[in-house]
Amino acid sequence: MKRRDFIAGLAAAAATLDPAARLLASVGQAGWLLVPMDDAQSDHLKAYGLTYRAVQRGVRAEWLLNYRSGAFLIPADPAIPRDAALSGITVEPLDDGQVLRIRAQIQDENMDAIPLEKAPKVAVYVPPNAPPWDDAVTMALNYAGIEFAKIWDTEVLRDGLKQYDWLHLHHEDFTGQYSKFYLNYAGAPWLLDMVRQSTATARALGFASVPEEKKAIARAIAAFVERGGFLFAMCTATETLDLALAGQGVDIATNYADGTPMDPKASEKMRWELALAFQNAKLELNPSIPVFSDIDGHQVNSLDRRQPLGSFALFNFSAKIDPVATMLVQNHRQVIPDFYGLTTSFTRRTLKPSVTVLADEPGAPWVKYIHGERGQGTWTFFGGHDPEDPQHQIGDVPTDLSLHPHSPGYRLILNNVLFPAAKKKELKT
Amino acid sequence: MLAGMAASAGAAWGQENPAGDAERRAFDLERRGNYVEAAALYREVLRQTPDDPSALFGLERSLSAINKPTDILPAVRAALERSPGTGAFYGVALRAWAEARQPDSVRAIALRWAQVTPGDEAPYREWGAAALGQRDRAEARRAYLAGRQQLGRADALAAELAAVASQDEDWPTALHEWVVAVGKVPGYRAGAVRTLGAAPEAIHPDLLALLTKEQGGAARGLESDLRARWGDPVGGFETLAATLPADRAQAIEALTGFLDQLRGQTGSSSRRAQGMALSALADRTAGAAGSRLRLEAAQAFADAGDPTEARRMLSGVAEDSTTPGSAASDAATTLVGVLLNEGKVDEAQRKLAELKGTLASEDWLALRRGVAWGWVRAGKLARADSVIAGDSSVDGLALAGRLRLFHGDLNDAIALLKQAGPYAGTREEATSRTALLALLQPIEAESLPALGAALLTVERGDTAGGVSALEKVAGSLPGEQGGAEVRLYAGRVARIAGRTPDAERLFRAADIAGAKATAPAAELALAGLLLDLDRPTEAAEVLEHMILGFPDSALIPQARRLLDEARGAVPKT
Repeated sequence: MKRRDFIAGLAAAAATLDPAARLLASVGQAGWLLVPMDDAQSDHLKAYGLTYRAVQRGVRAEWLLNYRSGAFLIPADPAIPRDAALSGITVEPLDDGQVLRIRAQIQDENMDAIPLEKAPKVAVYVPPNAPPWDDAVTMALNYAGIEFAKIWDTEVLRDGLKQYDWLHLHHEDFTGQYSKFYLNYAGAPWLLDMVRQSTATARALGFASVPEEKKAIARAIAAFVERGGFLFAMCTATETLDLALAGQGVDIATNYADGTPMDPKASEKMRWELALAFQNAKLELNPSIPVFSDIDGHQVNSLDRRQPLGSFALFNFSAKIDPVATMLVQNHRQVIPDFYGLTTSFTRRTLKPSVTVLADEPGAPWVKYIHGERGQGTWTFFGGHDPEDPQHQIGDVPTDLSLHPHSPGYRLILNNVLFPAAKKKELKT
Repeated sequence: MLAGMAASAGAAWGQENPAGDAERRAFDLERRGNYVEAAALYREVLRQTPDDPSALFGLERSLSAINKPTDILPAVRAALERSPGTGAFYGVALRAWAEARQPDSVRAIALRWAQVTPGDEAPYREWGAAALGQRDRAEARRAYLAGRQQLGRADALAAELAAVASQDEDWPTALHEWVVAVGKVPGYRAGAVRTLGAAPEAIHPDLLALLTKEQGGAARGLESDLRARWGDPVGGFETLAATLPADRAQAIEALTGFLDQLRGQTGSSSRRAQGMALSALADRTAGAAGSRLRLEAAQAFADAGDPTEARRMLSGVAEDSTTPGSAASDAATTLVGVLLNEGKVDEAQRKLAELKGTLASEDWLALRRGVAWGWVRAGKLARADSVIAGDSSVDGLALAGRLRLFHGDLNDAIALLKQAGPYAGTREEATSRTALLALLQPIEAESLPALGAALLTVERGDTAGGVSALEKVAGSLPGEQGGAEVRLYAGRVARIAGRTPDAERLFRAADIAGAKATAPAAELALAGLLLDLDRPTEAAEVLEHMILGFPDSALIPQARRLLDEARGAVPKT
């Protein structure tokens, strides 16, 4: 190879390294920008932020379901290549002819184009003093550059949720038992702080105990969904939210939380019709085992019942018939390694019949990712704590998402953030 | 006869034991988490033998697991009726009443238990523990003080009272009780230090003043450990040394405990205190082990910047006829290092010459390069040249390249640094060589003595003079032919030296349009500095300019990473 050719080759290679930056010069000729979400994408997670910010600026983007693993199509706008270059996101300029060909392909195959019209106002339910790296969604939103507000009990009980379209819950324990770490982590400063703060908040809001206050929070969140809100929950928040909703009028908290022991017949007294996703679960009565019920299939903190991690597979849906479920499973990987959380998965036996399963572990008695509706709104539950830290322990160093820019698990979280931006289409099924 | 006894014994072992079987099955059920059935079986056993301790404890565990701990009360009453002298049954009863939140009953049971086992601390300890389980520290304190009064011993339940006082953040009381507890049971010392170590910094002086008033070895041991923990390790050692027991074994234990407190601490005073303790330990340790301890002490003193004490230790190693050969050679190596740190390069070179043949070739060459660096720092380049003559190792080439650079001979310097490649020395040294090559590359002159002299000034520790000299050199060069790169290098030197305003000025001056390779590096360096100075908005602006302005730069991934940090998108590294 001649030196001249070698240098030209190097230059070409350099060009492919940073295509977004090169677009700054060429965007003038392109009418459209495609944000691919297949393996050509250099930062899948930031691509969601790019699209969110474009929609926030009033640009009418489209989510091309099942086309190149859920690509985004955005009318050319000088701000987008700049944003892409700064964040290292791959975008491809397209002319009208190319877009027409894509639309024809979408028409013919199991694909659809969903307009994204309004950037949802995002709130994360998190204690005021929680570190920014405490939960997967906060990390994903920070990394993608999506604005969000933090809200806590006082705001929730004062109708603060009305201001938001999308609410995220992570590892909150809505049974008010401090994640049942009270005995195992007795004396740990973070636990003492949590107990002090929760007790003070409950008292200030006029509740006799933390469990009673958390039940009221759960009711407010359910009402938010009924009014048309979008709820996304992970880890313990999934299971305990439903336990708190179904446990209205039942003592489901042990004595260290509310001063009285848990009702030994709590499981029989639960009102599952009030829950979003689960039914007929049996509650864990032992206060020293950090497990809430048999909703969780993996029981990570029970030495006898703990199940090993496998992988979960995303379901395929018909994009034109069932766009909501299709949006929630857009990914460049169909099978994803599982990860533990205090609630890792959801046993099939405890799912309500109306629940849509989005991902499961084939052959296992549990599922990973579920979705459903309540009133005018929807909820999505995703088991596990951190998709890139499968054995997460308290005190572990925070996950640095710049080391996982293609994380398929985190993509599922961000699908949920953009999903409320989609223009509502009536479901055909 | 023997055969008959054996047969009889065999029959006895072979007999069915229904209670034992039931107990085993109950334990198995308990182990598998079937607490309800386990409890039922344990109850069955207790119906037949109400005072079977294993069954009673099994029932207690199982009922606790199903959140019915108070259901044990009828069984424990029956056990006590059958065996009122068994203290352990009172413990079960006491815990059950505690779960039932009946403090009066807890107290009554504890006092009955105390009557059964006079002189025993256990009833009061359990009473206090039950109260602590209900987060009632006042009741726990009452229990312990009642025990102390009843038992008539001033040291009774001292550790328990100390723990309660610590939780109450009543540090003076905690301190006094811990002294009493450690005096009684020396094994409490580590726990006492850990607990007292949590006292707020503001009251450390008051607590130490109180501690000095306490008498006895336990108080001195605690004082020594706490001083070590609270930032005065040398004072800690002096306290310990003043009261070291005459008994050799006890003294060694005390010194070892003190060294454990300092383990992992690397500051100068910590290393000095370690050196002092190791030296004291060596004085009480005979033979090769003693020599090793002296050697460690010498290293600690050398790290602490105390060459006199380091040399004293090393001479002790040399004079000790029992010192093994390997320790003697390690001592000599350490001594060369000490001499170099003291700036006694001539003496170090002589000592090294004596060691030739006793050290492995690689170790000897490494020390020789150390001597050469010693001459560089003394400003005697010719002597450094002569020391490394003939060293063809990659590390030798790297050093030779640096020496040519200090002479101002840029062509030879570049050739030698390139030959050394990326593997010579540590990672930091390799990075530093790469930075030097980047510095030299745009300069077209073959020789530039002023640059060599400026770099030598930096190497000799005169950062201010070095930065100033580098700026003068930069001024003499066109920006795109080394001027910008020398400014960037000077900025980095200034930043490492903590001269941040100079660093910022130099980074900005290095960012010129003509120097296409230097400008993005200067912007990245500037952004990193701004981020460290807690100016993230300015850092983000600089990084955005760099990423958009130099999209082909190899530094783009680093810039994006830094931009994420500036925006708070990822945890700060």
